[in-house]
Amino acid sequence: MEKYVTANVATNLYWLGRYLERVAMTLREIAETYDKVIDVDKDAGVKLYRKYDIELSYTNAYDFLNEAIFGDHSANLLTILTNARENAIICRHLLDSEAFGEIIALHALFKDTDNNHLEVDYKCMDHAQSLIGEIWNARSHREHQELSDSFFRIGKIVEEADHRIRHNEDDPVIQSIIQEIDTITERLVHDHKPEQKPMECKADLLNELNSKIDKIIIDRD
Amino acid sequence: MPMLEKSTELQKKFWEIFDKQDRSKIDEFKVFMDKFAVNFNLYKDGNFIEQSLPFDVIPRIISKNEFATIEKGLQQRVHALNLFLEDLYTDAKIVKDGIVPQEFVEQASGYLKEFVGFSPSKKIRAHINGIDLVKDSADDQWVILEDNLRVPSGSSYPLSIRDTYRKIYPEFFETLKIEPIKQYPKFIADAMEYVNTGGLNVLLTPGRFNSAYYEHSYLAEKSGALLVRPHELTVVDKKVYFKNYNGKLIQVGAIYRRLDDEFIDPNFFNPESLIGVPGLVESYLAGNVALMNAIGNGVADDKGIYYFVPKMIKYYLGEDPILKNAPTYLPYFEKDRKYVFDNIEKLVIKDVAEAGGYGVLFGHEMTEIQIEDLKTIITANPRRFIAQELIEFYDEQCYLDKELKDRKADFRAYVVAGEDVKVWHCGLTRYALEEGNYLVNSSQGGGFKDTWVMEL
Repeated sequence: MEKYVTANVATNLYWLGRYLERVAMTLREIAETYDKVIDVDKDAGVKLYRKYDIELSYTNAYDFLNEAIFGDHSANLLTILTNARENAIICRHLLDSEAFGEIIALHALFKDTDNNHLEVDYKCMDHAQSLIGEIWNARSHREHQELSDSFFRIGKIVEEADHRIRHNEDDPVIQSIIQEIDTITERLVHDHKPEQKPMECKADLLNELNSKIDKIIIDRD
Repeated sequence: MPMLEKSTELQKKFWEIFDKQDRSKIDEFKVFMDKFAVNFNLYKDGNFIEQSLPFDVIPRIISKNEFATIEKGLQQRVHALNLFLEDLYTDAKIVKDGIVPQEFVEQASGYLKEFVGFSPSKKIRAHINGIDLVKDSADDQWVILEDNLRVPSGSSYPLSIRDTYRKIYPEFFETLKIEPIKQYPKFIADAMEYVNTGGLNVLLTPGRFNSAYYEHSYLAEKSGALLVRPHELTVVDKKVYFKNYNGKLIQVGAIYRRLDDEFIDPNFFNPESLIGVPGLVESYLAGNVALMNAIGNGVADDKGIYYFVPKMIKYYLGEDPILKNAPTYLPYFEKDRKYVFDNIEKLVIKDVAEAGGYGVLFGHEMTEIQIEDLKTIITANPRRFIAQELIEFYDEQCYLDKELKDRKADFRAYVVAGEDVKVWHCGLTRYALEEGNYLVNSSQGGGFKDTWVMEL
């Protein structure tokens, strides 16, 4: 296992994992909601985005896709992917080259669609989902799990935990994710001892997640 | 006028295979370069632009025999240049013996007298070198145009594209005897290990917005050096440390730095540099860290000092140069100045302070008024310029816009000095985008092609 990764690069790997997982989860939700918007509940998209404090408006199912992905709001997927691409470029020397290539391709897919004013459709969504699958897959194909993988992985699961906490703090999966975070933390921080603090609200859980990351990545600046 | 080298058996073999290939696959090279962000970044009008270098699929082919001579010549040259640098910054015998004028050295912008008396680890100063050559059509000889002994770039492009070439057109590599090239990062790693003063090997990049960030990242990964930005290093008690993610400091023993002298340490050089490591020079001077390449090398790749390299080879090694310089005149010497003024229309005039194809004037393209102005400037500051005979170097065939076109091409060879001086059996062949243009630099819009060292 490699021993050295700067705090800066570790942070980039961590956020790369978070952004990719955010895109993957958002795409899954959009795909499910798109299906409802067609003929079950035209306002399903409005309801979904209210959870993110975003007022989304659209005229039909295709318009929902475009507004959800490229709309002028904080969950714009192209913006999130641009951030992911930046993180990937900075830490590319530690990424599997195929995974890196797929991240660039994923960003290009959305950027080209946006630049060319093409309507995003289910094929584009499927393609994006499969690229994300390949990115995570390329990581797991590595023979040895390296230090850099841990930061990438922890970003992914923190994002998942964050998402679940915000949407349903009683979700039983949250505790198992936190246990996995603790396992990775023990590997990265030799004298780490998981603390059992009472969690009374969403804010407690989210603060606990952030404090775990602060224990792992120590930026001396 | 385009000028192609006489076709050889090796080239015939290449074309036999090329003619059978599916040419639509050529587009896959660009797809690869985009997908893996094989970029050479530029700032234009204040905007940061990520772009891939233009690539041509027809490789430059050099026979193994011919390359053997180039290799010996480059080893000899880099050996002599290292001896020159070490001598110049310690005893300066070459100056005392009148081979290189004192004034010439002192006026070289890369000469840093603050470093006189300091000898770096293993007395090696020019570790990673990019030597630019062209093949003269007049006599079929390779000619050295320029030595780059500070921070030469470009090696990652042929390395990356060769991998792709093997995937897209494997038949060339199955059929032809082409020298493998993957060992180059190992040359760097070996040289770093050799000069390492005790600690980690790191590659220091100015950061993600540097034009060659792709290369920094690629070479770090392949050589095993840790890629670091300046703020990821710190200096404590004249020792350089890598700041690990967990807050621990780990000592650094060798730095392959990819930023220029003037930016490397704001405490020593430019205080406004935001991309340097404060205290690095002090650590270097204390012998606590090796820098690749050494500080102060700019004096040896000064275009004016280039004139003296054949003399250095004779002086230090007692040998005749295997590779010749382009015929060069120094207006600093009165006799040369007269020749330059009398023949300026057929010469190339270079400003020694410029690089990357900037500050190059072709006499045959200048008006009478421009020539008179230039003569006035040269008279006022003769040390600032050199003049060279225009070398009609060969064109290379390039497959551009789906047809074969001839373009001027040079060749940057990479030479790594560690325990031995090693020449990479590849290099960066750069071609001009327009017909008849002699400027092939990437910063001038030039493209690149792979270089195959081959035998029958």
